[in-house]
Amino acid sequence: MAGLSFSDVSKLFAGTRALDGIDATIAKGEFVALLGPSGCGKTTLLRLTAGFEIPDSGTVTLDGQVLAGAGRFVAPEDRNIGIVFQSYALWPHKTVAGNVSYPLEVRRIPAAERRRRVAEALELTGLSALADRAPAQLSGGQRQRVALARCLVADPRAVLLDEPLANLDLALRAAMQEAFAAFHRRTGATMLYVTHDQTEALALADRVAVMEGGRIRQFASPEALYDRPVDCFVAGFVGDGAVIALAGAGAPHAGRVAVRALGQEIEARCDGAAPTHLCIRPEQLRIDPAGPIRARVSACTYQGGRFRLVLETEGDTLVAHAPARARVGEDMRLSLHSPWAFRDPASPAVLRMLQDA
Amino acid sequence: MIASPRTAISRSPDRLISLLLLPVALIALGPILRLLGEGFGIGSGATLSHAAEVLGRDSTLTALRHSLATSGAGTLISVAIGAGFAFVVALTDIRAKGALVFCLMIPMMIPPQITALAWMQVTGPSSVLLKTLGIAPPLGSPQPLHSAWGIAVLLGIQHASIVFLTLRAGLRMIPGDLVEAARISGARGWRVWAQIVLPLCLPSLAAGAAMTFVTALGNFGIPAMLGIPARYSTLPTLIYQRLAGMGQSVLPEVAVLALLIGTVAIAGVLAGRLFLRRRAHGLVGLSAQPLSLSLGRKRPLVEALLWTFVVLTLVLPLLALVATSLIPAYGVPLTHKTATLEAWAEVLLNQPVTRRAYANSLLLATLAAAILMAVAIPLAWIMHRRPTRLTRAVDALVDLPYALPGVVLAISCILAFMRLPFGFTLYGTLTIILLAYLSRFLVVMLRPVQAAIGQLDPAMEEAAASAGARLGRRLRTIVLPLSAPAAAAGAILVFLTAVNELTVSALLWAGGTETLGVVIFNLEDSGDTVMASALAASIVALVIALMGVVQLSASRLPKGTVPWQG
Repeated sequence: MAGLSFSDVSKLFAGTRALDGIDATIAKGEFVALLGPSGCGKTTLLRLTAGFEIPDSGTVTLDGQVLAGAGRFVAPEDRNIGIVFQSYALWPHKTVAGNVSYPLEVRRIPAAERRRRVAEALELTGLSALADRAPAQLSGGQRQRVALARCLVADPRAVLLDEPLANLDLALRAAMQEAFAAFHRRTGATMLYVTHDQTEALALADRVAVMEGGRIRQFASPEALYDRPVDCFVAGFVGDGAVIALAGAGAPHAGRVAVRALGQEIEARCDGAAPTHLCIRPEQLRIDPAGPIRARVSACTYQGGRFRLVLETEGDTLVAHAPARARVGEDMRLSLHSPWAFRDPASPAVLRMLQDA
Repeated sequence: MIASPRTAISRSPDRLISLLLLPVALIALGPILRLLGEGFGIGSGATLSHAAEVLGRDSTLTALRHSLATSGAGTLISVAIGAGFAFVVALTDIRAKGALVFCLMIPMMIPPQITALAWMQVTGPSSVLLKTLGIAPPLGSPQPLHSAWGIAVLLGIQHASIVFLTLRAGLRMIPGDLVEAARISGARGWRVWAQIVLPLCLPSLAAGAAMTFVTALGNFGIPAMLGIPARYSTLPTLIYQRLAGMGQSVLPEVAVLALLIGTVAIAGVLAGRLFLRRRAHGLVGLSAQPLSLSLGRKRPLVEALLWTFVVLTLVLPLLALVATSLIPAYGVPLTHKTATLEAWAEVLLNQPVTRRAYANSLLLATLAAAILMAVAIPLAWIMHRRPTRLTRAVDALVDLPYALPGVVLAISCILAFMRLPFGFTLYGTLTIILLAYLSRFLVVMLRPVQAAIGQLDPAMEEAAASAGARLGRRLRTIVLPLSAPAAAAGAILVFLTAVNELTVSALLWAGGTETLGVVIFNLEDSGDTVMASALAASIVALVIALMGVVQLSASRLPKGTVPWQG
């Protein structure tokens, strides 16, 4: 299905590339998270979708209609896209019901239908009892839901959420995450969700676009990002664990490859030729007195039910989980099971290869 | 993230409303530019040699010297009063700060000629108050305020609040932990104040002093009431006397005088801005915890001192003014037998001149407030959301008509509107006064609205745009209601300032277009002190009531809207 698509979208701010050749297609009804550190361009991409920014080049289309690009620009007020702001942006001079009914008033919906749809949206977000309150009288979570109701009431073609949980406390965040997921199941709306919190992104989204330096580094399902990162940034940014450079690699065969790392010959998963790096998740490392890898504990932190160990080997740092507390300075032996080998496009080995070619 | 809200969408309908800038720039800045042209001899036949001749005259030099002397001495007095109050109010734990600040603001909001009139009722041989108390000096002894010192002292009292406000704002920018760090290093009391607080707030103090000097330089009411009887002329009163005595034929000459005073004032304004820019240096980004030093057992003493000062400089003159307004004829002492409301009835109900002046002033003030309110909201919005080189230029220059002495603006307006195309003239009409008010008070209206719009989350408007609302509708349904309280406060301030205004209208009025300021001045000039006092007292009551309205609504207004709340 068509959904929302970006084709070679770039945006400059005062000479720096906030977005640099973004290509992505989001299917209708899909829940996509944009994940990245601050300054990576995720919010710019969201604002560009809403129409608050104009791309310097490239095309944005929604359901086959060109929103921006090729000399065309559809104003934000004509896009019918809903947005929930980080600050919620509730209008303080209007009541909860007044905020929610505004998009319908602008669209000149008759009063009777307006009342019905506002009531419906408030019901859906569990706000019916608060309809006549002023935004100032609401709690953070309630404000969040008003913003959501306001953006849904007009049946938007897509819903954009800009770090919607950033201002909420931990407990409320978990509750709102469930509310968003349930809400997405009920409405089937196309949703684009900006966050810098990977737990949130991995928990909620069908697919996650990991962004860095104005580019999408990897756009895949949460499990693929965790299991099969495509470069060092994604491997390091998503999930816990270690990324180490390979000393050498054999020829891959049927998704397996023999690589040299940590002074050992290791069998790893892979999906391409000439891997340069290894991504080792904590659960792929086992404390094993007969294991081939020697390491010394440099830190041990309790994570509820298990301990997280930081281990130093000759030249590399690893992360493992242990059932019992370990002493800092203690020596251990480890074995490694099915880590992920990948080719980082920016690594020196790859650059060398490119130069040779 | 990187996306700053200001760089947002700009589309063709937006550019259309930028046209609003043009008439605003013309009315606000046009007259001043016209005066500059006049000074350089454009369009009047006057040449630089003419300017040199006017500048070389004895009367000009004497007036310039008097202006500099009285404003300089006045500024020193303002600094002493304003800084004293600012340090105590901003740094210590005295009680009832709100009431104290309010009382300190009143002298600035009362028209200067009323201040002068009120003080003249406290001193001198015919003071009703002193006579009633039986301590009046013998008849024939001189009025001590009719002197350079009298002018300087009253200028100092009138403008002390400017120093107070600037210095307090500067003191509030000093992070509390700087003082705490000094105390933990072993410094205490006076040492902390002299070595930490004072050096850090010196730029604010200097900026306040520069602004006070410029305001004092442009003050017309006080030197007119006190100086003209003593034949002590300052530049504003010299311009007034030349123009009143000789009419339009002396326009080229007074234009040169206006440029002279304008040049001195601009030097002061620039110095003030320079100091202000320096004060934020190095203090930004630290935790700003307001300083609060405990005065301990000395607190009641300090409070008593401050309130005694307020009583002496505010309550006493106003009491004297009211006392004078209640006697049947000047010179009669006030007793319960002689007390009468005759003058009040005469001024408010019977006299056609005063009634007309009330009507004129209220009409001008209402129109100025209403027009400026309608202009300021879209203007502030454009300046904040769609900044261009033009809007930044308007932002920088819009202070000018207000900061420059009123006589300069008045002369500018005469030059700009006296000879319009098709033999049309605005000279002698209410319209020319209104145009001058619009130019002068735009900034009074604009700044609070700018503060309010600057605090509006741009996401509020973006949310409305996403909801499908176009620019006009967003301005009407989102921006207008949210900035309306600030605009209302600004409108009251404009109204207050316009009702008080004398300097501009003193040069622009004609028979039938008198304003309140002009009538008080003329009544006192012709010896009708009792009626002048009654009229003045009624205006003071109106001013304090309006200030009270602003004060009471201050807690509901965005930060920075009410000038004396900070």
